[in-house]
Amino acid sequence: MKNQKQSFFHRLDKSVVWTIVGVLFLFSTSIVVTLIAPQYVDPSWTEPSSIYQVQMHDVADPNLYVNAAAKRTETLQFVHHLKEDYTLLAFVESASTRIIAPPHLEKYVTRVGAPATKLTSKLLLLRKPAPSTSPDGFLASVVVEQLQKKLQEKWVKANPGWQEKRLAKPYYEIYELYSPGGTEAFSLAETDGVFEHWIDKNFQIIDEAPQQRYHLDEGVLYVKNPQEYRVSPHQIGSIEGWKFDPKGKKIENVEELTSPQFGFMSREQLIDLGEHIFAIEGCWYCHTDQCRTLVQDTVLNGTPTFPAPPSSANEYIYNRITFPGTRRIGPDISRAGVKRPSREWHKAHFWAPREASPGTIMPAYRHFFDKDPQITSKSPFGVPNYRFEAVYQYLMTKGTRITPPTQAWWKGEDPIQTLLIIDGVKTTGKWSNVP
Amino acid sequence: MNNTAKAIVEPAKVEYDDRAVKQMIYPSIVFLVIGMLVGVYISLNPFVFPDHISSEYMNFGRVRPVHVLNITLLWLLSADIGLVYYFVPRLCGVPLWSSRLATVTSWIWWPTLILGTFSMQFGTNYGWEYAELPMLMLKFIPIKLLVVVAWLLFMVNIFMTISKRKYEKMYVAIWYTMGALVWTAFTFTVGNLALETVPGGISRVNMNFFYVHNLVGLIFTPLGLAIAYYFIPRTSNTPLYSHKLSMIGFWSIAFFYSWIGAHHIMHGPMSQWLQTTSVIFSIWLFIPVWTVITNFFATMKNNWKQYTQSVPVRFLMVGTLYYLVTCMQGPLMALRNVNEITSKTDWVIGHSHIALYGTFTFFALAGIYYVVPVIVKKPLWSQALADWHFSLNFLGSMMMFIALSTGGYLQGLAWASWSNGNSYVEFLHNFSQLSFVQTNENLYWWWVARSVSGVIILAGNLLFLLNMINTIILKPVSEEERKSKKMIPDARVGA
Repeated sequence: MKNQKQSFFHRLDKSVVWTIVGVLFLFSTSIVVTLIAPQYVDPSWTEPSSIYQVQMHDVADPNLYVNAAAKRTETLQFVHHLKEDYTLLAFVESASTRIIAPPHLEKYVTRVGAPATKLTSKLLLLRKPAPSTSPDGFLASVVVEQLQKKLQEKWVKANPGWQEKRLAKPYYEIYELYSPGGTEAFSLAETDGVFEHWIDKNFQIIDEAPQQRYHLDEGVLYVKNPQEYRVSPHQIGSIEGWKFDPKGKKIENVEELTSPQFGFMSREQLIDLGEHIFAIEGCWYCHTDQCRTLVQDTVLNGTPTFPAPPSSANEYIYNRITFPGTRRIGPDISRAGVKRPSREWHKAHFWAPREASPGTIMPAYRHFFDKDPQITSKSPFGVPNYRFEAVYQYLMTKGTRITPPTQAWWKGEDPIQTLLIIDGVKTTGKWSNVP
Repeated sequence: MNNTAKAIVEPAKVEYDDRAVKQMIYPSIVFLVIGMLVGVYISLNPFVFPDHISSEYMNFGRVRPVHVLNITLLWLLSADIGLVYYFVPRLCGVPLWSSRLATVTSWIWWPTLILGTFSMQFGTNYGWEYAELPMLMLKFIPIKLLVVVAWLLFMVNIFMTISKRKYEKMYVAIWYTMGALVWTAFTFTVGNLALETVPGGISRVNMNFFYVHNLVGLIFTPLGLAIAYYFIPRTSNTPLYSHKLSMIGFWSIAFFYSWIGAHHIMHGPMSQWLQTTSVIFSIWLFIPVWTVITNFFATMKNNWKQYTQSVPVRFLMVGTLYYLVTCMQGPLMALRNVNEITSKTDWVIGHSHIALYGTFTFFALAGIYYVVPVIVKKPLWSQALADWHFSLNFLGSMMMFIALSTGGYLQGLAWASWSNGNSYVEFLHNFSQLSFVQTNENLYWWWVARSVSGVIILAGNLLFLLNMINTIILKPVSEEERKSKKMIPDARVGA
């Protein structure tokens, strides 16, 4: 072996050696300049586009669960995983909602007309008060009854002659604020599984000391008026299922929630799976995921009132695979979360694309749906399964996390002012966010 | 100007064991036809007949990579490897270093790639352009790693053969082959195995486009040119016009090609300086292509009569013309204002087909037409079939390129028409007059033309497959029978 090696190097003449050295040198230079240098030269390649994007990815996505296998329930359900000293909660009254609290929890309630929203990472929940006495002697049900009467009397006084005018006496939703004990809980989400509650003005966090780094951000995600998520079993024909029932059984932990019986998946899992499905189904062969710095792209991706801001590298930092695309047989999806937010539209579009989008050549993706022979669901299509929910959640991240919702481009708050640029008002047509 | 070319004469005494050539070329011809069949299918569904076949396994998104991987890996790369196994030993004057190693390489190469390619329909796409092969199949088969192993074994075999060569001077085809071997090893590793070593997002996109362009420019181009540099003088029995010019071509490709990846994402979420760099280097690529065109056409200068007599010459020279076309399109497409119209349209698809099909497939077909009769020691079974093969391929390819380029350009213009005017209100108005779906509907007849051209090309290649099979398996015809049946004379050099 050694002899062979010696003879090989012996026979290699100088020109071959120089060729190989030359080729490697030229190749390495291009690799250093075009592949390695940019991520250090261009901060947008590795920095997030907004703290909203970071918090959605780090805080919200892993802690929001969706029962994507909607077979055994009638409706899609969203559940928050609340963690003591981590998740920020707010207990906010409104015109028709009131909250009563035992004296030591009073400070966490944001009353009607309060100047600032109060947030806390202490684990508290709301419930319709239990008829029995709570351990600390706080008779919630009695208090609620009294409050209901008082509020209705107040309304009657403010609306004399309500019976002649055929007005209905309002019924106020009154909840009791209580501490459930333990360090985690599950609550029924108030949001639709795409946007979370976000606040960046007039708020204060009532904790002894900041518990998480993100609590110090200029704006924070929070869960509003969480009620505990409880379930009770039911049966439709031969199919066993379960539904949300405030008086039902409590969910003990994440393992139970994600077990096959309930089939919940976190939005983080769904988004990852959605990206995987996007890859294997070859969606990226037809749909691009980049709004180019060209007027026609901002028009294609824009709303009837505002053009879409061109894509910047910050938007893609959390992708494992990014699909910029090389062919646009179908429209661009980089702002799909804003252009096509409706879950119903997507159901129709994957089930029968030509119904949702006449003239399209897109094939149907019926394996995103389960068969529903007894038509137990109210949907005109098959019942969407976890694949559908995964792709939907993935698409909903497109274009919706560039800035916090309070500075959203589709509300005219575009930080790079795309509209002014393409109307020729701001500069000579160069987008300044693209370095 | 003609110095080393005279050295291309096979020594009468060396016995070349062409087993390796057969192992790579024979299956590649079958996959050429399979790849084109799949290509015709995806051109019809969903572009011409969208309403008929729609299922989890037959949708366009899952079948398109089957076509692309078949053509790029199972046909083109494999045929190129087979032809390299043919001409490198002959240019070195020694047999291949190890026939056994070549057999081991083939046994790793084919099952790995066949498994990887045909698994696409079952949801194994890796998600990156041209890097669709899965990393791990069925949880234990390391597809990409096995491809790298096979490539390294092939590299060792060829480098050892070159190191033991008899002729001191190295012909340009050897330079290109060595370059291709080294570049492929690096490029394949970067694009397939190293993607997850850079941060998520645009860094990976950048790396992927680096890989995509080096795949065409530093793998298929040098291999294809090596084949052309060998077979043009070989089939026409004339020396190459200029060695110096070919060296300029080689080194300019070596320098310029790896900087242009970013031109795939012009106007996109990519740093402007990187985009501009890619444009400049793309324009510089005019240099190597002109050295190649000059060299090849000058070589054929007094030999054009062979064009009418020899099918390989026809494929090689038309391939050279297509090389000129594609290498003019490419740099121009990198320019920002041209890119605004051509990118993301069928123009890009036309461009990729002119390159991989019009240029490199034609070169490989020419090589195979020359090589197969030599290695089976029988003449080509039918000259008429070969003539038809060329004519159908030429007609079909012209039709396809015109259809795709024109249709694509028109679609790009249609999209750009949304930007006529001065304000968002006007742009929206333009958009309301011409919707995105309508720009697709307007392409319908160009897509029909593309499918028809695909069928013509497929027909030509079916004739080719038939011709090759008969040449390989049928008993040789004796000279007397040949003359009595008025069959074509044995066209092999030195037969």
